[in-house]
Amino acid sequence: MDGLVQLQKQLVDYTASLFREGFLDDQFNQLQQLQDESNPEFVVEVVTLFFEDAERLLNELSKTLDSSFPNRGQASIDFKKLDAHVHQLKGSSSSIGAQRVHSVCISFRNSCEEQNVEGCLKNLQQVRHEYSLVKTKLETLFRMEKQILEAAG
Amino acid sequence: MAPSRSGGDACKGGAVEFPAGLRVLVVDDDATTLRIIEQMSIRCRYRVTTCTEATVALNLLRERKGCFDVVLSDVHMPDMDGYKLLEHVGLEMDLPVIMMSGDSTTSAVMKGIRHGACDYLIKPVREEELRNIWQHVVRKIWNENKEHDNSGSMEDSDWNKRGNDDTEYTSVADAAELVKAPKKRSSLKEEDIELESDDPATSKKPRVVWSVELHQQFVSAVNQLGLDKAVPKRILELMNVPGLTRENVASHLQKFRLYLKRLSGVAQQHNGMLNAVPGIIESKLGATGRFDIQALAAAGHVPPETLAALHAELLGRPAANIMSTVDQATLLQASIQGQKISHAEHAVAYGQPLVKCLSNIGKNFPPSIITANDVSSAYGAWMSSNITVRPNNSVERVGTQNNNMLMDMLEHRQRQQPQQQPLIHDQSCSINVQPSCLVVPSQSSDTLHAVNSCASINQDCSFGRNAIIDYSLLSQKSNNSITASQFPGGDTKAQGVLYGYTIPSTCSMSSINGSIQQLQNSTLTFGSARALPSPLPMSDRQDPYGFKSGDSFDQVCLRNLGFVGKDTCIPNRFAQKEIESSVSDFSQMKVNVDSSGNTLQEEPNFINMQKGSRPIIERYQSCDHSSVFTE
Repeated sequence: MDGLVQLQKQLVDYTASLFREGFLDDQFNQLQQLQDESNPEFVVEVVTLFFEDAERLLNELSKTLDSSFPNRGQASIDFKKLDAHVHQLKGSSSSIGAQRVHSVCISFRNSCEEQNVEGCLKNLQQVRHEYSLVKTKLETLFRMEKQILEAAG
Repeated sequence: MAPSRSGGDACKGGAVEFPAGLRVLVVDDDATTLRIIEQMSIRCRYRVTTCTEATVALNLLRERKGCFDVVLSDVHMPDMDGYKLLEHVGLEMDLPVIMMSGDSTTSAVMKGIRHGACDYLIKPVREEELRNIWQHVVRKIWNENKEHDNSGSMEDSDWNKRGNDDTEYTSVADAAELVKAPKKRSSLKEEDIELESDDPATSKKPRVVWSVELHQQFVSAVNQLGLDKAVPKRILELMNVPGLTRENVASHLQKFRLYLKRLSGVAQQHNGMLNAVPGIIESKLGATGRFDIQALAAAGHVPPETLAALHAELLGRPAANIMSTVDQATLLQASIQGQKISHAEHAVAYGQPLVKCLSNIGKNFPPSIITANDVSSAYGAWMSSNITVRPNNSVERVGTQNNNMLMDMLEHRQRQQPQQQPLIHDQSCSINVQPSCLVVPSQSSDTLHAVNSCASINQDCSFGRNAIIDYSLLSQKSNNSITASQFPGGDTKAQGVLYGYTIPSTCSMSSINGSIQQLQNSTLTFGSARALPSPLPMSDRQDPYGFKSGDSFDQVCLRNLGFVGKDTCIPNRFAQKEIESSVSDFSQMKVNVDSSGNTLQEEPNFINMQKGSRPIIERYQSCDHSSVFTE
């Protein structure tokens, strides 16, 4: 089945590139290792949880930052709340191995600590960007895996 | 999210090979992490339960005691701080808790250690790390067993009998420990607590008696080193007590820490820092205030249990002097200072006897639960007064000397006036007898803890969980909340939960009609969280009050006195007895100050407080019992 082998090779290469480009780190391997016959969908399940969480948190972050827009004043932003959200996002991204998202979160937390509004806004933009990237990539990955499964019959 | 999952529901460990079958409770608000750890745990063949909320987890732990071996908790959680959960678990269930966090800074890890975490994992947690957590369970069990063996304290069977209440366990163990040691009188003063040796819990093995004096030395050593830095070896060096081994100190220290932790954690009602403000406490404490339970009782808002507990505590005090002696002060301060635990020090559980007594006395007193505010304010006032430690003063000057009968009483005492009656009768405060309330004077200004899970005072003198009302010594903070929970058994038996550490004298009990002031700064020194288990046989001292179990209670209290400062006043006993006999008796109560200066005549009703005859009782003397028993 050339097709299958092809697919499998594609998957391997693709995964390798994700690692190489820093989208994923070793934690993702851990996830894959946790998957087994009794939990065949484990990785997808966990990553889906992450997606849900991340989107919720990103919304919260936007709300918190956007609410200050009119004032644009530092005083109006609840940096503590911001930090709490970012911390959460940082945690969940690290738990699935979304390395770049995780890195941006670290910077984001620094901005919060410094109460740097501009920095926060920028970080938010970055994190959104990185999140959408990794989301796309992981979805592609899962699609490929699914294709393989289907091809394998 | 409701706890769920793998591992089945059987609380008993299955017959699988350890560490498989380890019953783990994982708490984390992050669903992703939670799922991953759950899966890892399943891989490790643990029986895992997950929770996204700390409060749910805590409830679960409480409901299903003995169903978990270890708790894994995230540090940052929205509903409850992970450290707080940690403390609760440590105090109430005494389970090993492992913290998890993405924060790997040294300070964060240190904080975890300080709060008693067994381990601190950096997220993302790897499976290998999870495979290793069983070591903490084993270590804990072994250490506890070893300690027991050392002290010849309760056997495991006894322990088990006490149920899953780890608090009890520890207390019992502690009590047992104290009980069984042969009395060391050579180096101890007469006022030192005499430990009864006929305590059923006594084991045959000889053991170090943590007498009051010894404990004082211990506490001052710890204080000197700083609780965080206090290591057994250095403590031992500082104490310089011949014959004392590092091991003795180590186990004692462990209990001490546990006790403090407990007090602070359990008592904590609000997010106040568990760490007391040593400075404040110190200042407030002033002299070793002796907590005048009676005063409290008199105030009427002290639940009987609490008073009893307090009483019990005081019972432990060897000092007959009301006045806190220097020792006491030292002890108190020492314990307070190093520890940053305000509440802990105050957590005093009052045994039943007092409660009962109070109930009798206070027939006409509307039972009411002392509100934290009340208490705190009362205490606060009390505390703010200067408390001076006067060596060998019979009566410790209670801080606030105003509009407080008790205060007057104290004053009187100080002047060696045997006249207590007026005070007693003057007590117009109602005594609230709350059968199940334990009053825990708490010292920290910002925390008024209701020690809910204090060992309950039940007829068997065993500790259960009762609400302990914390009297916030320092503050009148509104968040002082005293929670008095009903606690079973209104038996007058002297059952108290003795928390071995001094209660900062500043307990505010505003609810007590002004008479609380009288609460001298008795610092209730509590032996390290000793629960008084079933009535320990009291020495054969006569019990004028006719305490049966009360006696044992006293004994127990005394035993626990290892941690009690000298010259602590234990009004409870008297109060109780008095109450039982009749209110009028109280009027006759005379405080017999055992201090060098003051010696008051003792009323027959009172336990005969003759120096030497009954060290325990003598101790009571100093307390202003009278104040407690106002009609």
